Amino acid sequence: MIDGFKTMLPLAWRNLWRNPRRTGITLIVVAIGLWSILFFNAFMIAWAESSKETTLRLLLGSGQIHAEGYMDDPSVEALMNPPDQDLASALDAPAVADWTTRVVVPGVVQSEYKTLPATIVGVDPMAEARISSIPGKIAEGRYLNSGDDDSVVLGLHMVERLKTGLGRRVILMSQNAEGAMSEQSFDVVGIYDADKATEDLYVFTGRAASQKFLGLEGEIAQVVFVLKEEMALEDAVAALADAAPALDVRSWKDLNLFLASMDSYMGVFIQIWLGIVFALMAIGIVNTQLMAVFERTQEFGLLRALGMKPGRVLLMVAIENALLIGVGVLLGMVLAAVTIWSVSDGIDFSAFARAMEMVQTGEIIYLDYEPDAFILFPGLIWLLGMLVALWPAGRAAKCRPVEAMRRET
Amino acid sequence: MDPIVACRGLSKTFGKGELAVHALRDVDLDIMPGDIATLAGPSGSGKTTLLNMIGALDEPTSGEVSVDGQPLGGLSRSRLSELRLSKIGFVFQSYNLIPVLSARENIEFVLQLQGVSTGERRNRALEALKEVGLAGMEDRRPGKMSGGQQQRVAVARALVSRPSIVLADEPTANLDTRNALELVDLMRNLNREHGTTFLIGTHDVRVMEHSMRHIEMVDGRIDSDARGSA
Repeated sequence: MIDGFKTMLPLAWRNLWRNPRRTGITLIVVAIGLWSILFFNAFMIAWAESSKETTLRLLLGSGQIHAEGYMDDPSVEALMNPPDQDLASALDAPAVADWTTRVVVPGVVQSEYKTLPATIVGVDPMAEARISSIPGKIAEGRYLNSGDDDSVVLGLHMVERLKTGLGRRVILMSQNAEGAMSEQSFDVVGIYDADKATEDLYVFTGRAASQKFLGLEGEIAQVVFVLKEEMALEDAVAALADAAPALDVRSWKDLNLFLASMDSYMGVFIQIWLGIVFALMAIGIVNTQLMAVFERTQEFGLLRALGMKPGRVLLMVAIENALLIGVGVLLGMVLAAVTIWSVSDGIDFSAFARAMEMVQTGEIIYLDYEPDAFILFPGLIWLLGMLVALWPAGRAAKCRPVEAMRRET
Repeated sequence: MDPIVACRGLSKTFGKGELAVHALRDVDLDIMPGDIATLAGPSGSGKTTLLNMIGALDEPTSGEVSVDGQPLGGLSRSRLSELRLSKIGFVFQSYNLIPVLSARENIEFVLQLQGVSTGERRNRALEALKEVGLAGMEDRRPGKMSGGQQQRVAVARALVSRPSIVLADEPTANLDTRNALELVDLMRNLNREHGTTFLIGTHDVRVMEHSMRHIEMVDGRIDSDARGSA
């Protein structure tokens, strides 16, 4: 077998270049096909990662802990006490990068012109800055100073709709701990710039200030935590659930099902893309190799007449295909590596900032090499290419010398 | 002395029923070692079919062919390939060299299939090229050689594996007179010096004149089989 391979290799290589144009076209088809798979795989992973990071960093965190029932009716009646010693210890575990508590209740915000529904979020600004990207998105004014800060930070779009602005006052209203409506006037000290949905929904004030406003005695609505490693998510959630069996501990995958689906289906999308590209490549490979075999029918007859066994003819054509697809795969890998390297500083989508906001993705997408993809996809393309090319190779091997040489007198 | 090739009751029919064409009809033929025989006859007389049967390239409808004592009937395609590789050399009308290989590589190719070592392959190929008068042209590819030169390479390739018999089908058909005569001389010299057995299917009088045995075929039968003095 090895001897046969050594015999066939140089011949197969030269045969490839008999028709440089056809070989070139096949190489380009394979190379571009693989390039598109590797590049779009890297792009889609980066896009999904950016989208996930943006969403998690906004308010969601890696996960949240609530009182039982809060997720079904997120009102002041379903709040909980701050973490006890067991839960605090679990939240201080090495896997957890940071955590904080929030008061989150539904309410309304009213300006002198308009009243809008809102979610009032009481935060500890220092801890919040480590967990959420909102404090870094202040477009005008400032973020909150402390948990006692009884001013508010509104979203840019909400400010426009309320026809209010920095330095003006708005009234927040919500049901308080006693079941009555509380209302209080707050100074607008900051305006944040995020996506419209977030801007229209969330109003931020100090956590202690919100507890005072709602008549709470230290109760909170949620603990939000961020993990150091995404890989540790399931274990971390399980550990926290063990530490707080009476509470509802959920990962971001349970809190944002759309985001979780996007994360799961990204792999399926890549597979579909791989299938489409491969189908196109297979048509190209089979077509060109069949043409090559038909053109050389007489020669295969000669080789068989000279004593070459059918298996060796098959081997020779298979080696030609292996070289052809192999070179195409190498070109595709180099092309993809160069493309990804050339955009390693990130692809800037700031020109489409609003659109990127809508899909909750960062304005700059950072592509990275996926070592597994650079092994898996080229290997798969090479293997599948070899398999489809066995058809023309089999035809060559099956030829009968007399018929192939067409020499009847 | 046992014949190199023995054909007994050899028949070949292409097609069926009314469309059947009887290319060979009950042919008996022995080719003896050292023969240089020409197989002549009009188109459709069965020359190529008979050469194909002897060369293990096609199967007879009935009858038996033996090459060097080995009956061909019932051998697998793989065994037939081995037999062609070890016992039969071919020279075809249209040179039939592998275009991507040089003259030397074309000759070496058969030896490679036989599993001959690299060094020996090279030496034997160069020797064969020298023998056919193409020393110094070993690195030329077929496209850079004349028809006569290509046919000499084909002869060298046929001989290099030291076959029991060389089958040549219209070897001079595409050659001009000078090249045709040179090729005939070459085959005759190889026959004289090495005892190489040749069976040559041809229309070419120049070839027939130099053969020691002349077999005439008509309508799939051997019409005459005469030994000459060449």
